[in-house]
Amino acid sequence: MKTILEVSIHTESDIITARQVARETAKSIGFDIVDQARIVTALGEVAKNIIMYAHLGFITIRFIENEVNKGISITAVDKGPGILDIKSVLDESNTKGLGAGLPGVRRLMDTLEIESDVGKGTKVRMEKWLR
Amino acid sequence: MMKKSGIILYSHGGALNMELNIHFHKENNILKVFIEGEIDTFTAPKLRDELEAIDIDSLVFIELDLSKVVYMDSTGLGVIVAIYKKVTRQDGNLKLVGLSNRLERLFAITGLSELMNIEADVKVV
Amino acid sequence: MEQLLRDYKQFLSDYITNLKEQNLYNGQNYVRQLIQKNVAPEDVINIHRKAVDEIFDGLPESLSHAYDFLIEVMVQYGLKTREHQSLLVQKEELRIEMDIAARIQNILLKTTIPKLEKLDIGMISEPIRKMNGDYVHFIYDERNDLSVAVADVVGKGVPAALCMSMVKNGLETLEYGNYEPSYILQVLNRIIEKSVDDGMFVSSFYGRYDLEKGILTYSSAGHEPALYFNSNDGSFYDLESKGLLLGVMPEVKYPQFNIQLEENDFIMIVTDGVTEIRNYEVAESRKLLKEIAFTLRHLSAQEMCEKIYVELQRLQDYNLNDDFTIVILKK
Repeated sequence: MKTILEVSIHTESDIITARQVARETAKSIGFDIVDQARIVTALGEVAKNIIMYAHLGFITIRFIENEVNKGISITAVDKGPGILDIKSVLDESNTKGLGAGLPGVRRLMDTLEIESDVGKGTKVRMEKWLR
Repeated sequence: MMKKSGIILYSHGGALNMELNIHFHKENNILKVFIEGEIDTFTAPKLRDELEAIDIDSLVFIELDLSKVVYMDSTGLGVIVAIYKKVTRQDGNLKLVGLSNRLERLFAITGLSELMNIEADVKVV
Repeated sequence: MEQLLRDYKQFLSDYITNLKEQNLYNGQNYVRQLIQKNVAPEDVINIHRKAVDEIFDGLPESLSHAYDFLIEVMVQYGLKTREHQSLLVQKEELRIEMDIAARIQNILLKTTIPKLEKLDIGMISEPIRKMNGDYVHFIYDERNDLSVAVADVVGKGVPAALCMSMVKNGLETLEYGNYEPSYILQVLNRIIEKSVDDGMFVSSFYGRYDLEKGILTYSSAGHEPALYFNSNDGSFYDLESKGLLLGVMPEVKYPQFNIQLEENDFIMIVTDGVTEIRNYEVAESRKLLKEIAFTLRHLSAQEMCEKIYVELQRLQDYNLNDDFTIVILKK
C-alpha cells in the first residue's frame, strides 16, 4: 500500500479536509479510534500554525513502514517567517502564551522533527507507529 | 514591500478593555505606522515587537502616526525611545506625527521633542 | 491494554450492580495505576466504551459514535490543559521573580528623611504595584547643604530595579565631591545610557539647598516640573524643566537654576504619577494639585504630603495610574 496524499492549507476548511484524509489513512493502516484522534489532532495543530504564521502551506500524509511495523507520517511545510529558536519552541516551560503548541503535539505522536530557516519557511514532520 | 498587520490585545481580566491596533502602509519610500488605541504596560511590548521587526536602512523614512493614540504612559515612551535609538544608529529617519496636546507636553517635558522630529496634530481644513 | 480493560470492567460492573460508595472509591483508587501506566484520559474513555459494550452486551451505534466524539474532544482537551498549565507555571515563576526583585529593591532603596531645623522636609512615595519605580534620595552634608534627588524609572521588574540601584550608587559616589546638580545629572545620564537596554531611562530632579542662604540650586532631566509656592504673593510657580531624560543620549548638558526661598515658602517635587490622572488633562491636574496644596499650606511638610496623597487618591476612586511621589521642602 503506497499512500502519499498532499493537501494545501490556506483556510480553516482545508484543515478539516486534511484531517479527514489523515483519519481515513490512519484507519486503513490499522490505528484504533484513539490513535486516530491523536493523529488528527496533531495534524490540526500544525495546520493551524501554518494558517496563523505562514498563511499558506502543505500537509503531506504518508503511509510508512519498516521491517517490523507500519505507521503514518504527517509533514507540514510552509514558506512562512520561520522559527528563530527551535529549541525554545519545543521547550514546554517556554510557551509565550497560547502559541505554536508544539510540545503538546510531540506528546500525541511518536516522533517530531522541525527544520526551519528564518525568512525561508518551516517543515514539521511527525510519525506515529502501530502499537 | 507592503506589509499589513493588525494586532488586538486584551488585558487579562482587568476592568478596562485595552486595545492596540497597528497598521503599516508603505508610500514610496515612507513607511507609515499607524498606531491606534492605548499604549501602556500591557500593550507596549507588542508595539515594541512590531517596531523592532521593521527593516531599517538609510533609505527608509519611518513615520509614526500617533493621532489615534488615546493614551500613552512612560512605557510607551520607552518603546518610542528604543526605536528612535535603533533608527538613529542605522542612519534611518524617524518622524512622529499627529501628537495630541497631552503627548506634545509629554515629549516637551522629557526633552524628547528637542531630540526627535515631531509634528503636532494638524487639523485638516 | 487487555488487563486494564478487564480490571476496569470489573470495577465498573461492581458499581453498576451494587451502587455503593465502596465501589466508587475502588474505581478512583485504580486511577493511580492508570496514571503510572501512562494511560491518557482519551484511553480511559475508550476502555470505558469497550467495558460498557461488554457489560451490556452490545452498544447502540449512535451511542458508540457519541463516545467517539468524546474521545476527540478529550484529546484536544488534554492538549489545551497542558498549554494552560504551562502558562500558569510561567506566571507563577514571574511572580516569584518580581517578589524577589521587590524585596531586594526595598532594602536597597531605603531612605531616611533628614530632620533639620532650618528646613521642614516631607515625603510620600507609594508604588502602584509591588516595585516602586520612583526613588527619593536625601543627602545632608557637613557643608550644611541638603540635597534631594527624585528619580522615576521607566519599566518594571528586575531591570528597573537594577537601573535604580545604579542611580543610587551613582549618587552615593558623587556625594563626596562638591558637585553641582547639573554635573550630577550629567554623570547619572552617562551611567544609565551606557548600560541595560534601549528602552530604559530615568527622569530626575536634583536640588541642592543651601540652609544658610536659603537658596535652592536645581537641575532637571525630563522630569515633571516642580512647583514653588511663594507665601508672600500666595502663588505657585512652575520650576522650569529643561533637560533630556537620563539614558537616552550619551552626552547631554543640563541647565541649572537658582531660587531663593523665604519664610513659609515651599517647593513641591513630584513624579508623573501625581499629575497624570487618567481623565484629567495634565494642566487641570496640576491646577488641582496647587489648589489642594494651597488649602493645606499651613500644615507641616509631612502632613501636607500625606493629605495630598489621600485627596488625589480619593478623586481617582483609589485607582491610581503610576507610582506616586511627592517631596516637600518647606522653609
